Amino acid sequence: MTRHHPDTLTLMEFSAGNLSEPHALCIRLHLDQCSHCRSRVETLDSLGAVMMDHQPKVSVADSSFEQLLARIDSAPVEPEPVTSTPRLSPLQKLLGDDINELPWKRQLGDVSVLDVTEKFPGQGERVVLQKLVAGGKAPAHTHRGNETTIVLQGAFADQKGVFNQWDFVVLNEQDEHKPVAVGCEDCITLSVLSAPLKLTGTFTRMLNPFIR
Amino acid sequence: MMMTIKSSSHATVKERPVTTLEQQKTKPEGRKDPWGPLLEKVGKTQDRAAYQSLFEHFAPQIKYYAISNGMANHAEELVQEVFISIWRRSCLYDWRKAAASTWIFTIARNQRIDMLRKMQRSSAEMAIETEDLWQIPGDNEDEPVTSLHRLMSERRIRESLSLLPEEQITVIAKVYMEHKSHQMVADELQIPLGTVKSRVRLALNKLKVILQDQNV
Repeated sequence: MTRHHPDTLTLMEFSAGNLSEPHALCIRLHLDQCSHCRSRVETLDSLGAVMMDHQPKVSVADSSFEQLLARIDSAPVEPEPVTSTPRLSPLQKLLGDDINELPWKRQLGDVSVLDVTEKFPGQGERVVLQKLVAGGKAPAHTHRGNETTIVLQGAFADQKGVFNQWDFVVLNEQDEHKPVAVGCEDCITLSVLSAPLKLTGTFTRMLNPFIR
Repeated sequence: MMMTIKSSSHATVKERPVTTLEQQKTKPEGRKDPWGPLLEKVGKTQDRAAYQSLFEHFAPQIKYYAISNGMANHAEELVQEVFISIWRRSCLYDWRKAAASTWIFTIARNQRIDMLRKMQRSSAEMAIETEDLWQIPGDNEDEPVTSLHRLMSERRIRESLSLLPEEQITVIAKVYMEHKSHQMVADELQIPLGTVKSRVRLALNKLKVILQDQNV
């Protein structure tokens, strides 16, 4: 059961289709597991429908409907299969079947990272997987800009609480934290960063995957 | 007919919608979603008359949606893609789960995103499909209580939208119709981001999109 949800304004930007792809992925992964937020998004989608109806209308070309019928007749479209073979989840498509077996790069004792930015071409944001071994600690750090994170596996805790699988959290420059992986699994998170992290502790080596 | 949409806020404010005959006609039976049964007919029997009624009502909305999203040169194309998708997917539509207009809005949104993605890059670069990101999961859910709630919320939003102050509608319209982030809306209207967010929150509260028991 997820406890930490995206805020309504973020869900609204999702409903409007305005988020970058990595951000949309974080929301989508959360929605997969959270009926509460699914219901919120559905309500927001209704707002979208009402807004669309509330705006001016523009007549379509006279031939528009005939064109449509011609297209339907010329290439009879297969109706969507109602039940298909189990489809790969977006996460599997992106990262394969086992996120534990990725080419992780060890950073500090307990922390490994994998930069997956290249999977989202043209989005202008860094996208990073981070892994904290079970029971492990990350050095204290803060964030420049916003960092949106979703927990993919395991759980971590910081002074704000415990973040379980599919929990959603946004951190910014005000949030200094020192996460600890709790539970018996390694904690793996997916983060979208608008700017690099900034270490605040005495460590000089970097958790931050972007400053080497 | 071509319209030029200026990105100025004032354009949207002045072009406030005219109530169409269609809206007046459907108002008395407003308790029910008039388009749901038509959409179901298309899904079950490929009923072309029902399909045409849906087209006549929604195609002009979708065309405006395309234009206001900066796709004036592809507006007819978007309308075509949305309606092909409606034809193909209508067998999946279930009136108990969503109002037809909500269902059609999500298709228009997804097709708009998909078209822009395809213009911007090759398919080889897209590991994840548009639907993987934007289609809400849980099509097979059977939650009658929630369903009722969804249908009622659409009606409630429709009815209470006219009670909102213009400035709140403007902000929401920019988010939904011009795919602008809250930050971009703030920049364009030259007001602080916090003001944009509070207008949105006020509006969502009034429309009861934010439920009172929600603290997130």
